[in-house]
Amino acid sequence: MRSAKTEFWAGVVAEMPLMLGVIPFGLVFGVLGIASGLSPLETILLSSILFGGASQVVFAQLWGAGVPWMVVGGSVCVINLRHVLYSASLARYVRQLPLGWRLLLAYLLTDEAYAVTIQRLRTEPSGPNQHYFLLGSGLLLWAGWQITTIAGVLIGETIPDSWSLSFAIPLTFIAIVAPILKDRADLTAALTAGLLAMIGQPLPWKLWLILAAVGGILAGWLVQQHGKTKQGVA
Amino acid sequence: MIWLLMIATGLFTFATRFIMFSGLGRASLPSWLVDALNYVPIAVLTAIIVPAVLIDPASTTIAIVDNPRLYAALVAIAVALWTRQVVLTIVAGLGMLWLLQWLL
Repeated sequence: MRSAKTEFWAGVVAEMPLMLGVIPFGLVFGVLGIASGLSPLETILLSSILFGGASQVVFAQLWGAGVPWMVVGGSVCVINLRHVLYSASLARYVRQLPLGWRLLLAYLLTDEAYAVTIQRLRTEPSGPNQHYFLLGSGLLLWAGWQITTIAGVLIGETIPDSWSLSFAIPLTFIAIVAPILKDRADLTAALTAGLLAMIGQPLPWKLWLILAAVGGILAGWLVQQHGKTKQGVA
Repeated sequence: MIWLLMIATGLFTFATRFIMFSGLGRASLPSWLVDALNYVPIAVLTAIIVPAVLIDPASTTIAIVDNPRLYAALVAIAVALWTRQVVLTIVAGLGMLWLLQWLL
């Protein structure tokens, strides 16, 4: 049986390679938060209150553009809906834990921590201390995200606009999306979202974002369901 | 106002993470919902990427041919598919952007 300490440090070590992507993202978010007009305190606390990179970027950009709060909130909520999947996927491993543990682990449940934790749970023998793995990976990610956000806020004012550093955000998302486009349904979701984002530009309050997100999800889902029915018939 | 919104969206986000840990309600998600949620990252991130690449931040018009960000993004896509490394993708994309901005 593995001790709590062994599981915790295994989680930390497994998370380390993913930190390579998180560090520049956190820095750029810190810079962008200030550039969008948020105060240093607002930018820094967004990283612990929301604790989700893409949604924080959207929060800062939409709020900074003077978009009504309901649209900012709606956009952030749509983006973060995906966590329900991670929550469902890990539920059977954490259900027996005390409430305090479940609250803490839920707070730490990000894309990156989920990715290494589900890998551990599926490929290695289960044990009574396995939840310490998520604690380790989640805490490393949390600490890294907070520190790099603060660093970004501090250096943000010294970086000239001509460096186009905010372009690192779409580049980060390209690095995430490009490798996960696997089949026709994925491509349809991406193309539909991209097209709707452009067509929707004249809409007020940057509503194109919600339109493109919902349209892309629906398009991918429809193509996937269509594929399923055809398989079922054959 | 911004603090209220930060806290409200923070609570919602926390709820998306905690909902299936709570022990309340059903033990698993309906399969159609799992299928649909799978497309959230692709749709959301692509919706952010495309205008950020195609719309010129200075003039806020669509730029295609004389758009250094488009070429930088294409290089980034190639590097992302090839290496699957976030840092290398950012370095390649920003490097290409700076090179083109310096040349043009």
